[in-house]
Amino acid sequence: MAEFLEATYDKFVFRVKTDYFYNREDFWADIQGNKATVGVSDLLQKSKGDVAILETVEPGTEVRQGQEIGKIETIKATFGIISPVSGKVVEVNSELENSAYLINEDPYGAGWLYKIELTSLQQDQQGLLQANAYFELMKEKLTQISAEMKK
Amino acid sequence: MAIEVMKVGIVSCSGEDLPEGTISRIACRKVLEDLRPAETVTICLPLFIAGGKEERDFATNYPTITVDGCDKRCARISTERLSGKPSKSLLIPEILKKRGLASPTRRRNLGAEEKAAAQAVAEEIAQAVDEVLGG
Amino acid sequence: MEKHNKQERQDKKVVVLACSGIGKVYGAVARETVYELVERLRPGKAVTTCLPLLVIGDPDAKKLVSDHPVITIDGCPKSCSEKSVTALGAKVAKSYQAINFYKAHKELKPAGIAELDEAGQKLAAVAAEELAPVVDDLAAEEDK
Repeated sequence: MAEFLEATYDKFVFRVKTDYFYNREDFWADIQGNKATVGVSDLLQKSKGDVAILETVEPGTEVRQGQEIGKIETIKATFGIISPVSGKVVEVNSELENSAYLINEDPYGAGWLYKIELTSLQQDQQGLLQANAYFELMKEKLTQISAEMKK
Repeated sequence: MAIEVMKVGIVSCSGEDLPEGTISRIACRKVLEDLRPAETVTICLPLFIAGGKEERDFATNYPTITVDGCDKRCARISTERLSGKPSKSLLIPEILKKRGLASPTRRRNLGAEEKAAAQAVAEEIAQAVDEVLGG
Repeated sequence: MEKHNKQERQDKKVVVLACSGIGKVYGAVARETVYELVERLRPGKAVTTCLPLLVIGDPDAKKLVSDHPVITIDGCPKSCSEKSVTALGAKVAKSYQAINFYKAHKELKPAGIAELDEAGQKLAAVAAEELAPVVDDLAAEEDK
């Protein structure tokens, strides 16, 4: 399977990593055993713009799926980081402190936000979309946000 | 997979050294935001030149209109070199002369003359977009 | 000889180059910061040129950045201004990201791309005030 699903809109190519899961709020989870790495989708980082300031929760924080676990301020908007999974934060990406632009430059790789030890993956599955389903959702959202992208 | 097809890329001179560069920027944003929002995309010239993949791919695959502030024609030359001949190439001094408008004198804090110039250039760009798209 | 040297010292300038990216507000902040330096704070000492002129090979623009110290101000991490200068083989003495001025002055969140709003203009003024001594230092180094 290809590493990414891609959709082009105007001059922008929006990518969805095929082996990740997603929530409807455009955050991804890379689930490996009982841990997940989470981050911002390509759609979200492109539509909201360059990240200026990041507020995160501390390692050790218990989080629930759907809970806001931080804030991202970009040049266009401030929005909450909505956790795609439940568990305990075990690591926050320290690189982002001085290099928040990694979220824009490499949203599925070096721009990851948290590593979370999972506590209720079976329950969380209901709130997660596989890549193909998220790709369809992304395309619907794209037609709605075209005006936003021009600002 | 492409979702949108009928678009024109506008490549604006960034002209920091000239009032016409500021007019070009303002006019292009007017076209993008007000006059032809569904039909246009701006190509960031510095990024285009520095190797921005999205800018270059778009300019290669879609028609472009270049807007230059002076006869050094950086936007046109860069577009020709990096992605191919633009569909239309506009020069601001020519537009202002055609419209009987005075040359702008300010690079920022624009006065009435500069605003009139920006509006005129925006209208010319919009017309060029229509011609390129066959409207 | 002394008159010639005095003329040379008077000619020592610092080039400040903005990316002027059209897609992002920080491109506009970078541009406005340059104008604050060359028009208000350090006229005659800080000079600018059009960034694309460097890339199309304009001889005057190339000579300017080769002969004088260069400060670049970029609107995003793609750093087009810095890259355009270094691609020519010229040296960037100092490089800045406009967004970092906002991070240091969060009360001045800029808006507007073609025309900056009041907060954006104030941010550019603050950024230029911070860069003016850098211009002075680089110009003074040139005098030695």
